[in-house]
Amino acid sequence: MLVETKSPFKDVLFEAVDEGLLTLGESGKEAVYFHLQNLCSLRRVDVSDRPEIFVEGIRKIFGVGAEVIERSIVMSLYRKLGLKYKEKEGYGFLAYLNDAKEMKVRRLK
Amino acid sequence: MLTIYKISFILIIGLTLLYVFQGYYPEFMSFFSNAFSSVIAGAAVISSGFSLDKYWHKAKERFSMAWLCFTCGLFLWFVGEALWTGYTLVLGIEIPYPSLADVFLLSGYVPFFVALYLYVEIFGSVLSQRILTISLAMSVILAIFVSGVLIAPVMGTEADLTTMVVDFAYPILGLVLLSVAVLGLLIFLKGNLGKSWALINAAILLNTWGHALFSYTTSQGTYYGGHPINLLYAVAYVFFLLAFYVHIKEL
Repeated sequence: MLVETKSPFKDVLFEAVDEGLLTLGESGKEAVYFHLQNLCSLRRVDVSDRPEIFVEGIRKIFGVGAEVIERSIVMSLYRKLGLKYKEKEGYGFLAYLNDAKEMKVRRLK
Repeated sequence: MLTIYKISFILIIGLTLLYVFQGYYPEFMSFFSNAFSSVIAGAAVISSGFSLDKYWHKAKERFSMAWLCFTCGLFLWFVGEALWTGYTLVLGIEIPYPSLADVFLLSGYVPFFVALYLYVEIFGSVLSQRILTISLAMSVILAIFVSGVLIAPVMGTEADLTTMVVDFAYPILGLVLLSVAVLGLLIFLKGNLGKSWALINAAILLNTWGHALFSYTTSQGTYYGGHPINLLYAVAYVFFLLAFYVHIKEL
């Protein structure tokens, strides 16, 4: 059996996505995962490895409404990493993710 | 997915033809119109029930509650339609208006509004203050316009106060629903859920239009069993049915 190992950041992101999708409740979250698999062949476990596909997928489903889910995930991620979340003009989901990753690396150094 | 669109399209075309040529079979049309509203409203409740079954988790979740309220709203409308059918086809009352049926039909607006509000509120933060203001202003203008159009014919009749209140209540409540539903459409327009919200908006619009015309025709004494405005109600229910089905398929 293959055992997948993930970086701590990806683990936290995985949890944050799970938590962020709870904006729609438990059943809504499950529905989103189901459709992501159908729409973009993105499995639940791969969400933290391919966040760009995840964003594309939820935008395909929710349109502009996806921003609410993205924000909820980012806030959850920052909280879990012990970082201060600050809204920035023109910043998208992936930019926040990169920032969080960089800040976490800088802290570890 | 395409099949359900095709079936709905054929159904709507069939219903339209049926109403267009009603002059050839007025008695059948009166029966069909009074009976079909219950059937199609029941089908919409079933479709909404499937959505509730899929999205329900617990009462504390807004998304679950939204779907419970959608189903409750449609169920109350179904009871109202069924009572209308009973009054007309069983008791032989030609136009049971206002009646107990209206109590259920009007009550249905409350859970339906709550459902739309709960759903839209989850995503509402993506809407700018400007869009919210424009949407509200448009709703107020439409409400004033509809009231303005209805005021002379309704007030000019010898109808009692209850009838007048009900005459205005339907279109105004419909516009209240529409004001929230439009926000949902704006949020999800570019996503797959946009289809479902477009259908919800179209259904509410047709329903509101139908009620405004119903208020007008009853006040003028020109309404009759099988009147073409019933087509608007029927198509509205088809759209509701389709909207919930599409929602299940897209999320």
